[in-house]
Amino acid sequence: MDTIKDILFYYTQNGSYVWEQFYRHFLMSAYGVLFAAIVAIPLGILIARYHKLSAWVISLANIIQTIPALAMLAVLMLVMGLGTDTVVFSLFLYSLLPIIKNTYTGIRNVDHALLESGKAMGMTKFQVLRMVEIPLAMSVIMAGLRTALVITIGIATIGTFIGAGGLGDIILRGTNVTDGTAIILAGAIPTALMAVIADFVMGWLERKLSPNKKRKGALKKNIEEQAA
Amino acid sequence: MLKKNRFLIVLALSLSVLISGCSLPGLSGPAKDTIAVGTMGTSESQIMGNMVRMMIEHYTDAKVEMVNNLGSSIVQHQAMMNGDVDITATRYTGTDLAGALGMDPVKDPEEAMKIVKREFQKRFDQTWFDSYGFANSYAFTVTKELADKENLKTVSDLERFAPNLKLGVDNAWLKRKGDGYEGFVKEYGFEFGKTFPMQIGLVYQAAANGKMDVVLAYTTDGRIKAFNLKVLEDDKHFFPPYDTSLVARNDVIKAHPKLKGVLQKLSGKISTEKMQELNYEADGKMKEPSIVAKEFLEEHHYFENEK
Repeated sequence: MDTIKDILFYYTQNGSYVWEQFYRHFLMSAYGVLFAAIVAIPLGILIARYHKLSAWVISLANIIQTIPALAMLAVLMLVMGLGTDTVVFSLFLYSLLPIIKNTYTGIRNVDHALLESGKAMGMTKFQVLRMVEIPLAMSVIMAGLRTALVITIGIATIGTFIGAGGLGDIILRGTNVTDGTAIILAGAIPTALMAVIADFVMGWLERKLSPNKKRKGALKKNIEEQAA
Repeated sequence: MLKKNRFLIVLALSLSVLISGCSLPGLSGPAKDTIAVGTMGTSESQIMGNMVRMMIEHYTDAKVEMVNNLGSSIVQHQAMMNGDVDITATRYTGTDLAGALGMDPVKDPEEAMKIVKREFQKRFDQTWFDSYGFANSYAFTVTKELADKENLKTVSDLERFAPNLKLGVDNAWLKRKGDGYEGFVKEYGFEFGKTFPMQIGLVYQAAANGKMDVVLAYTTDGRIKAFNLKVLEDDKHFFPPYDTSLVARNDVIKAHPKLKGVLQKLSGKISTEKMQELNYEADGKMKEPSIVAKEFLEEHHYFENEK
């Protein structure tokens, strides 16, 4: 009970600081995923096309994923120096695998009959991609972004070790003071909360973009129209 | 077609941001045009680091970034040498004499300060500022009641009844060469009745509730004040001095002409007792170092009226 009181006391005293770090933490994670999306989605589409490449690209991304986060940060720090850029770059690397994999899977799973009919209607390759493949794969790609964002929010916490700030700063400070339980929790709870909220929002987007739902909606509308 | 072009432009822009490594909107890191202030993980270091940041922001237009939680004095030094950090907020004369400079300890505080100032200027092209006014060293500490009762002011005052006293100390200190217990006995010429090695964090509580008569504490720890303890003066200068200063790279001082004057305003402004108070605000009352720093500077109006 005392701990809860302490945590609330901590927030009333340091509210603006916590908010600042929360925002910073989120931005680092979001930038990491954003840059990864810019690289990984085209790459995923590419390896879905030339899928001899897929084994190479995916296993490379797999290898990146197996490097422990602290080791990755330490190595990148030697090259890129201290600060947020290094953290954003390592988050970028960690986000690659889920996004590439999901984009690849999403595009590969589009029904061949649909591609053929697109072609038969005289669509160019780019039109098939833009009007058939991507919309149908969208929800799977979103699921990849969702996984990536949740992973990066967790990893961004250790950015504090290379001076990048974020909620990890609060947690680390809690470990340094004499009786830091409340401070550790005051940093850990918002981090967990951010991951849960991000997961929830991305999940909602994913459902919104799901082609099944759209089709059902369209079907319903059709039936209603016919009935009228 | 227009859509495709727009997409390509966005792509190119984002990639160029990523590759050039310049700071992202809303997330400035230690980039070229900002001054990076490095601190260690301790509350003391972060309080002082934030003061340095706020002083610079208050008086100049320069942008400042904090690089917190550097592991040790050596890491701070390396970061300064690499250029990752432009200013380190808390550097202790005794630590850096042995660490960065690799020299023998010097007992006289003024002499030690003179040496680090000279050597950092010469070897590393960095300026060591005057001390903030506090020193974070080891010190023998007793309760106020005991000090008043026996009229204790210095460590030598303990001599007459030392054989009856229980001493609580850091694990490592008892066996340490040089400024350890053995050296202490040689220098002061008396021993304590019993010594109890313990975790440094526990000595304050142990002294406060009477389990120990004398403990070896860190002089700026907030609990000295909170638990009503008294630090005894090291009258024979047995412990090397750990006066605290900030260190800045000379190229930053040159690039920002007002910087030196602004930072010098902090010199001599914070006594060891004041630092105890500030540390206690952070460690005992759970205030963030940045908020402690801000309150302190606002209370003193950023030392505007002083040179």
